[in-house]
Amino acid sequence: MIPLPKFRYVEPTTLAEAAAILAAEGEDCQILGGGTDLVPSMRQGIFAPKTVLSLQAIDGLGRLEWSESDGLSIGAGVTLRRLETDATLRKLFPMLAQAVSEVASPSIRHMATLGGNLCLDTRCYYYNQSEDWKACSDLCLKVGGEFCKASPGGKAKKCFAVFSADVVPALIALKAQVTLVAKEGERTLDLAAFYSGDGARPNALKPGEILTGVVVPADRVGIKGSYLKYRIRQTIDYPIAGVALALRFGASGVVSEARLVLGGVASKPVLVKGIAELLEGQTLDRARIERAAQLARKAAIPQANTAGQRAHRKQMIHEFTTRAFEDLAREAR
Amino acid sequence: MTETLSVPAKMPVRLRVNGQNRDLLIEPSASLLQVLREDLALTGTKEVCLLGSCGACTVLIDGKPALSCLVLAMACRGKAITTIEGLMEGGDLHPLQQAFIDKGAVQCGYCTPGMVMVGKALLDEKPNPTAEEARQAIAGNLCRCTGYQQIVEAIVAAPEIARTGSAKRPAGLMDSGPYLMPETGE
Ligand SMILES: Cc1cc2nc3c(=O)[nH]c(=O)nc-3n(C[C@H](O)[C@H](O)[C@H](O)COP(=O)(O)OP(=O)(O)OC[C@H]3O[C@@H](n4cnc5c(N)ncnc54)[C@H](O)[C@@H]3O)c2cc1C
Ligand code: FES
Ligand code: FES
Repeated sequence: MIPLPKFRYVEPTTLAEAAAILAAEGEDCQILGGGTDLVPSMRQGIFAPKTVLSLQAIDGLGRLEWSESDGLSIGAGVTLRRLETDATLRKLFPMLAQAVSEVASPSIRHMATLGGNLCLDTRCYYYNQSEDWKACSDLCLKVGGEFCKASPGGKAKKCFAVFSADVVPALIALKAQVTLVAKEGERTLDLAAFYSGDGARPNALKPGEILTGVVVPADRVGIKGSYLKYRIRQTIDYPIAGVALALRFGASGVVSEARLVLGGVASKPVLVKGIAELLEGQTLDRARIERAAQLARKAAIPQANTAGQRAHRKQMIHEFTTRAFEDLAREAR
Repeated sequence: MTETLSVPAKMPVRLRVNGQNRDLLIEPSASLLQVLREDLALTGTKEVCLLGSCGACTVLIDGKPALSCLVLAMACRGKAITTIEGLMEGGDLHPLQQAFIDKGAVQCGYCTPGMVMVGKALLDEKPNPTAEEARQAIAGNLCRCTGYQQIVEAIVAAPEIARTGSAKRPAGLMDSGPYLMPETGE
């Protein structure tokens, strides 16, 4: 059996204790949620931390609470299985439940946590490989090489590894806020602002910080949402294109809020620009839906680093955006 | 991978496997799969991809399916682990195991323990699953032989076997007789 690199294992029971260990050990310490992303990467030698810090014994991270004043609060340790089966969540935010249920496979969803999905590492054909495989040619930028081998021409000095978490586009479409805790204190930011777009360092997590959870604001109730995922097989596989659409309809079908987020087609979730300007105050018709789908297609910048040709994945973003709008327009009628 | 200088020492742990407490000395970085197969000689749980992509290593942790190649053994302290070896009831096969035999759901057998474990978890949650529910339950488990249909049929048929109590004692290895070469009969 290919063993995991050797490390020390710690399982603190409070957030303060966890933050103290992280502060002391810095980048030598890696956080473990459900391990469904970190463990395969350690197996491939991508990470070899001295210490693995499991969050599973920290109580407060398992919260899943709804209140009409504060919205839906989800702790980083909540499993995807619990999210997809929670009756309140399914009723209030069906798009979120839908996105969760599209992650990986049932057994993985029993293990995987929300925090791990939000902090999912970016992926690439040249990165998610064994050490033996990588030893056969130059290393890519993300593991210490000079260039991003997946970039057009293979000569970019920026990493284009793809962001493939399914839950994140849905949460951003719902304007979720994320909270990060370190020994020095905590900060809260828009989930959309958490992602950098740099494949090599995909999120704003600083060494020592723990993502403790997200909040979906209470005023998001009543939003109609749709998450559509394109993947090679209808199970297990990561998205190679994903569309999360959130719309609010006012009187007589007029759109009062619109937000469209793409996944699997860039190094971060892409909040499509111009959608609110195009649609708010308007009713949905063919021409406007087509215009929105064109904006989405333009915003998608897939690279040759996962399954599916780039042009095809852009085409599927166009197609899925159209479908998502049509589905929600039908629901609103 | 260069080893860090301070290789962590082995740690004493107590794991609860198939209803029994097992006291072990393990490396903190050992996966549950490694401990089951190499320390406890429970080789029914299969090792295939080691990346979470195939489901062959599925066990139940506190009754829920989990991929033992992705779980650290250290993280399982205080939890109940069930492997394929723990399914027999009083010397008889579990009804689901019998159903796999009756329906011809086993060919090379490599996916079988994982398939049985996700099927068991489904039956515990929904005692009379539909074919569609069975299909969803095995959605993370790959089989390269059967085409899945017999596996779905086996899971759907298991409740009937449980009702009629028609699960049998497992045939011992020798019961099938000495191996004969199909070509020569020797
Ligand atoms: C075969 C396979 C298929 C998959 N398919 C999909 C898919 O279709 N869609 C999808 O979205 N994902 C997929 N995944 C990835 C993964 O299973 C999920 O994204 C899952 O939600 C990750 O959660 P986890 O708790 O297991 O993460 P972990 O592996 O525990 O952690 C992932 C990363 O986040 C960090 N981290 C975890 N929690 C925190 C925290 N609270 N604060 C700070 N950092 C943290 C870890 O250090 C690590 O770097 C797949 C994985 C596999 C093995
Ligand atoms: S060996 Fe664990 S999922 Fe394949
Ligand atoms: S029986 Fe051979 S892989 Fe399923």
